[in-house]
Amino acid sequence: MNGNKPSEMNATLTTCPYCGTGCNFYLLSGSDGRLSGVEPAAKHIVSKGRLCMKGWNAHAFVHHPDRLSTPQLKRDGALQDCDWDTALATVHQRLQAIADRHGPDSLMFFSSAKVSNEENYLMMKLARAGFSTNNVDHCARLCHSSTVVGLAETLGSGAMTNTLDCFDHTDLVFVIGSNTTEQHPLIGGRILQALRHDTKLLVADSRKIRLAQHANIHLRHHNGSDVALINGMMRQILVDGLEDRDFIARRTENFDALRDSLEPFTPEYVAAITGLEPQQIIDATRLYAGADNAMIVFAMGITQHSHGVDNVRALSNLALMTGNLGRPGTGINPLRGQNNVQGACDMGALPNVYTGYQQVADPQARLKFSTAWGKELPETPGLMATHAIEAAAAGSVRGMLIMGENPMLSEPNQTLVRKALENLDFLAVIDIFPTETAQLADVVLPAACYAERDGTYTSTERRVQRGRQAVETPGDARADWRILCDLLQRCGIKANYESPAQIMDEITTLTPSYGGISYQRLEGGHGLQWPCPDADHPGTPILHQEQCTRGKGRFSPTRYRPPKELPDEKYPLLLNTGRTAVHWHTGTMTRRSHLLHREEPHAFAEVNPQDAGQLQICDRQLIRVSSRRGSIQLKARLTERVPAGQIFIPFHFAEGAANVLTNNALDPESGIPEFKVCAVRVEPC
Amino acid sequence: MLKQLTQQDLFELFDRLAEQYHLLMPTLLTDGSRELMPWPGSKAAAIDGIIPSMAGEPIQRKPTSHFFPQTDPLVFLKPDGTVSVPQPPDKPLALCGLNREDLAAVAFVDRFFSAEPADDVYLAKRSGALLIGLSGHCGDGSHGDHFLPLAQGLCDIELIAEEPNEEKKEQEKQWLAVVYNAVGEQWLSGFAAGSPQRLELLRHKSVTMGHQQQELLQQASRLLQADQVPDSFWQEISSRCIRCGGCNFVCPTCTCFCVQDRTTTAGTQRSRIWDSCQLDAFMREASGHNPLGTELLRTRRRIHHKLVDDPKRWGEISCVLCGRCDRACPTGIGMVAVCEELVRRFTS
Ligand code: SF4
Ligand code: SF4
Repeated sequence: MNGNKPSEMNATLTTCPYCGTGCNFYLLSGSDGRLSGVEPAAKHIVSKGRLCMKGWNAHAFVHHPDRLSTPQLKRDGALQDCDWDTALATVHQRLQAIADRHGPDSLMFFSSAKVSNEENYLMMKLARAGFSTNNVDHCARLCHSSTVVGLAETLGSGAMTNTLDCFDHTDLVFVIGSNTTEQHPLIGGRILQALRHDTKLLVADSRKIRLAQHANIHLRHHNGSDVALINGMMRQILVDGLEDRDFIARRTENFDALRDSLEPFTPEYVAAITGLEPQQIIDATRLYAGADNAMIVFAMGITQHSHGVDNVRALSNLALMTGNLGRPGTGINPLRGQNNVQGACDMGALPNVYTGYQQVADPQARLKFSTAWGKELPETPGLMATHAIEAAAAGSVRGMLIMGENPMLSEPNQTLVRKALENLDFLAVIDIFPTETAQLADVVLPAACYAERDGTYTSTERRVQRGRQAVETPGDARADWRILCDLLQRCGIKANYESPAQIMDEITTLTPSYGGISYQRLEGGHGLQWPCPDADHPGTPILHQEQCTRGKGRFSPTRYRPPKELPDEKYPLLLNTGRTAVHWHTGTMTRRSHLLHREEPHAFAEVNPQDAGQLQICDRQLIRVSSRRGSIQLKARLTERVPAGQIFIPFHFAEGAANVLTNNALDPESGIPEFKVCAVRVEPC
Repeated sequence: MLKQLTQQDLFELFDRLAEQYHLLMPTLLTDGSRELMPWPGSKAAAIDGIIPSMAGEPIQRKPTSHFFPQTDPLVFLKPDGTVSVPQPPDKPLALCGLNREDLAAVAFVDRFFSAEPADDVYLAKRSGALLIGLSGHCGDGSHGDHFLPLAQGLCDIELIAEEPNEEKKEQEKQWLAVVYNAVGEQWLSGFAAGSPQRLELLRHKSVTMGHQQQELLQQASRLLQADQVPDSFWQEISSRCIRCGGCNFVCPTCTCFCVQDRTTTAGTQRSRIWDSCQLDAFMREASGHNPLGTELLRTRRRIHHKLVDDPKRWGEISCVLCGRCDRACPTGIGMVAVCEELVRRFTS
């Protein structure tokens, strides 16, 4: 019981555990070691004394009674409490036995965008050095893997090119496929503020999101028609002569190929694909290309398609063609979802790269890491998370260690995921709550949440910041880095770090872009933006200033490919999936936070009133939504936010899980699933 | 009672107070925020180089949170049916460094929670607590010469920073202490007497300062009461609300809470937690019907409550102009921003 001492005696500065904006706040706690509230950091460069609803409630799930506090082992078909040594020995021995029998690549390691850089580093070290496989990945596969591939090819770096401060000095923001005020609320807030000072706004989104209400032009193009739209805009730029010829000549290559590829994309042709009017495309083009400095902002609406990489390429081409790169208030700005999804990628929790995007296929890089770690390392890139699920279902992946992820709700086509996880010989899960995925595990290891451990996180603008421990873990739960160190030691890899700071010291020696980062430098509270190559380097707010990371910016032509599954007679509506403002991903934390849960307590589907009329369903009525992969029941929410012909379902809710319906059609290059388009049927229940 | 204190006197006073109170002082935190944090004691302060941050921008967290915290345990219900309530505080709180606006907010919230039926959970923390106001030459520079208006009786003790003297060092700063009641007298009786002329001078300066924004609130309040503000205005403003709840959470006169139950095998902990009227669920009924079911209605209510409803119920506008919601709102529609726009557009 919180008793007789004031409850706000301690204030611990830390980084928000939710989105990638990177807000900082103080966790307030009493002498009883319980968190009682949150206060935004008044002077922090990103938060500036502000938070969104999730941030204001970030303390709320920490002491929830459902927190896992004891290791568990499956005995007689049920998870039962056990001691740490038994649990860890079992994880190590069972994974090792599978590797011995079926080869190291029969294992898969899921790292997490919710844990620190140090922990991601240890996880990929465990996979690569501990178990000799590159089969390590994390949920960036499901969100921005298309960005990493697309921007690495065209610019040489897959991260946000500019910095959040740029929103304060740009002439135009082009938001495409990002519901910014809901998913990156403090960035959305900055965009709304910028509009007060004459910044223009172009929004392309099939849903009437909040920003659309404030846009100079709102394009409601069909989901999945982005390549056609962007190519159409670029063709129009050339017709109008609005391209930046000097920039194209000095700083880019392959322009001729791009120009040729744009020929078919006349306004009429694009209008037919996108459902827009030809004049809308021309007007939007002139708005964007007419601005001196324009920022492109995008998120899942661009990436989560079977042609996600092409969408990103097209946007990159657009920025290059207009010379909107390398200056304040410009750029191509993917908004990263999770608080550390940028960091998890930077740390090499990906199947093809070590830290700082050093390729595992590159013998030099391999030599560097194997020398540092004292272990031969595998050279073939590993499996992507989405492919690993398929491989597990097919029986070629047999053992998995999943840390802080809940693929049962987050991966597409839940029936397939369940089959995959149930098919495994051994599944171990490290988590803070008994998730739907943990229920299927053979061993569950209880971890520390963000408020219970030290570490660093890298925000969407590449800002590396500190997370700090404010309270102790519940029961016997342990910080993820301690769990991973133990497993590394059991694999014979030295891992006697005393603190996350020591792990960061190792990371910086191996990672040029993090070379100048240290806990000491991060103490000041505002973080450092990579690349930060040495101890005197101030960090890099804006990338590609003199030249692109790869040298010349490369135009990469794309052709329009429709989504894999479009509405037809049997499944006549398009299903779009995503999130709400108050919940986070699979809801493990936010559905256990009173105010957030109360705001959106049930699974629901947004249905356009026109469709509802035809289907004879009314507001708040229970409906059944079915796709070729499954069927769920949830409440209808009648709203003009979705266009007629489309329904939108957030994927937070286990009891009406959107991913029962979604299509696991993958982008061939990035392996990202097509979460934004599949065909469904709606019936009243 | 009027006293004159040196910096050393002040620290001595704080040390003594800390024996009987949980003394919280304005303190500079890592990122530059000023917050009320426990007084470490003058010895520890000297060793760690900590000096209380007596001058500067307003305190970030609303001080009323110490009597009405974001999470506040109410009762614990055991499975055997027994009920226990939190023990009373081991020592009362002493909050030092509240400016006039914050003290006005405490006074308002006191009145609200003391009205019948009195809120015993609030009063358990508030009764016996000591309020030390801060005024004089220690503002954030926003009122000219770093001057904070005097508090004039809203606290137990008021510390007034004397005009800084170029030649004197910070440590040699002098303070006037005005004592408003017997509890205050008990703590300050030993110190040297202050100069009534100096106090008069400072009072005079304080009165002439006034609060320009007070007139703005009054004007806005009159326009709202006369129904001069159409819904189209509220539609426009509310379309910029991203439902963060910040305006409510930072507001020192906001008192809305909801109830949270958490059950383990040991029993159920019932707590109250801060609520926000900007949330859709704030008034949503179990059926799903919602009398405040649009953002227009919610935004209008937020302003109406402070400028129309509270004046009717309590006889005063309940915005104390602390500035917090205007700083906390990510999209720039805090109280002053909205009132400025409203008055500009609808004053004929
Ligand atoms: S905007 Fe993102 S980082 Fe900031 S408080 Fe909200 S969830 Fe946290
Ligand atoms: S602070 Fe601003 S954005 Fe947040 S709820 Fe209040 S009015 Fe809305």
